[in-house]
Amino acid sequence: MSSAKTTLQARHLVRSFGAGETKTTVLQEVSLDLYEGEVALLMGPSGSGKSTLLAVMSGLLRPDSGEVIALGQQIWQMSENEQRRFRLRHCGFIFQGFNLFPSLTAREQLEMVLRWSGGISSREAERRVEEILLRLGLEHRSDLTADQLSGGEKQRVAIARALLKEPTFCFADEPTSSLDWHNGEQVVQLLRTAARERGATIFIVAHDARIIPYADRVYYLEDGRLCGKAISQP
Amino acid sequence: MHNMEMGSIRVRVPYSLLLIGRERGRYLPAILAVAFCAQLNILQWGVLLGTLSVLSMPIDRSGAEVWVASRNALSLELGHPIPNEWEARVASQPGVERTETYLFGFGYWHKPTGGSEVCIVVGSHLGAQALGALVDLTPDMRARLTEPGAVVVDAAELDRLGIHGVGDAAEVFGHRVFVVGLLHGFKSVGGPYVFCSQRTARMILPLFQEKPHDTMYLLARCRNATAVHELIERMRQYPDLSAFTREEFSRRTRWYWLTQTNAGIGMGCTAALALLVGLVVTSQTLYAATAASLREYAVLRALGIARWRMGAMVLAQSFWVGLFGVAVAMPVIFMLGSAANFAGARVLLPAWLFIGGNVLTMAMALASGLAALRSLRLVEPITLLR
Repeated sequence: MSSAKTTLQARHLVRSFGAGETKTTVLQEVSLDLYEGEVALLMGPSGSGKSTLLAVMSGLLRPDSGEVIALGQQIWQMSENEQRRFRLRHCGFIFQGFNLFPSLTAREQLEMVLRWSGGISSREAERRVEEILLRLGLEHRSDLTADQLSGGEKQRVAIARALLKEPTFCFADEPTSSLDWHNGEQVVQLLRTAARERGATIFIVAHDARIIPYADRVYYLEDGRLCGKAISQP
Repeated sequence: MHNMEMGSIRVRVPYSLLLIGRERGRYLPAILAVAFCAQLNILQWGVLLGTLSVLSMPIDRSGAEVWVASRNALSLELGHPIPNEWEARVASQPGVERTETYLFGFGYWHKPTGGSEVCIVVGSHLGAQALGALVDLTPDMRARLTEPGAVVVDAAELDRLGIHGVGDAAEVFGHRVFVVGLLHGFKSVGGPYVFCSQRTARMILPLFQEKPHDTMYLLARCRNATAVHELIERMRQYPDLSAFTREEFSRRTRWYWLTQTNAGIGMGCTAALALLVGLVVTSQTLYAATAASLREYAVLRALGIARWRMGAMVLAQSFWVGLFGVAVAMPVIFMLGSAANFAGARVLLPAWLFIGGNVLTMAMALASGLAALRSLRLVEPITLLR
């Protein structure tokens, strides 16, 4: 048993797509726990249901049955607006690809998130953007537009965008897939640092086995079922 | 928003404006569509107003404050003769300073070069205090017009009348007329105006040869505004008369032409078409711009940012596109309007037309923004998880 606090629990999650003869059950009674300050890695072959599990656990895709309990709250019993507010307050996301506005600078992409999130003064927004740019080594590239940044820099901006609000959870779907290992390793290190320094719960879905040494816990999903027990690393 | 340092002042530029500025190529078609829409609308109405203003110009440029006509006269051209002796009805009213008869009719102008042209003959008194005479007639012209057969025409109508200038002669219904002066700005979309004395008008217009004791209108000037309205009220009590202030009769004449001919309907249809073209191009451009950033918006949605923030950005972009379109259109409208006026066409561009046209154009741009909001329905974070 881990001594860390459980922050996110998935219980008996079932999710299928299609109907009738074409119905495919992607998640079959999946249960797992994620912990504060840890990096959890979910691996598995293509089509095994990894991204679906991430979507269900992060509140983006409703399961057919089962429950997701985040910080003691059943997220699939919340209204759509409550879910959105929960994500606004507690969740960061990193998706495949960078998904940055091509003509906005790194700084503008980040400021946009803070300003549109509301509840924060302009001065505070600027301070936090400055701080995260510095932390991610982007301070000299902050006034370049996304089009002018390298792939590694773009992914660091995407990570900065996910961690900017200092979320409780950070969900990352194949965060290294568009990068060489040098840049990919940096990305994983940044996520691990977020877990260690701020106690964030990081959930990474990936194919890349080189990430394993950076994870505190590794899950393996095959045909919609978790195989064996989670491998807990020292 | 984005902060820009300008000296010691920090200017906050909205993201909507930043994206338009940095992706000019993407937004240019919408800006040009809005500009086209504004130009077409304002210039068209400017041309129409110019055309209509010529139709009422004999009223607008007269010194008469009150126009008394036959019953229910719809416009200047549509009066019927009334007895001269009814002038006493007008003159006997309190507060009336001066009254006059005024002749108006259509004639055939036989060109010295052959062929003929329908013309509009306007016969008025010519004295310095005369009510019906155009204020544009110089004392010299007024003196020369007292000679029977003397007429004044617009300089831009000389070709149409088959003459070259002052001193040239022609015939109207077989009566010799000769030009003693030229005016400017009276080029008509109907027949050319032929201004003359009452004596000449009675000589050349068969209608008033048949009815020598009739006039087309009775004009009056009063001591003050109250007297004007009292006179009109009293004249309207006669079942066989109608009466108007100068402004009312002018507006009535223009309104008749606007609504009862196809000019107004045609112009309205073209204006609506221009708005529709602007609406479609602008909304499609904004839709495409938003659709191109669906993945970026989807990330923001995943992060919990409310959909209305993105909607507000699309609407703000439609506002900026409208504003830039109007800004592009204004100098072009001025240039084309000036060029048209220089070429002899009459284009009126009053301030209210600019304001109205631009408000309509901005409303169209914002409506296209509203139409483009449907693209945000496609923003779903789940689409980012492959």
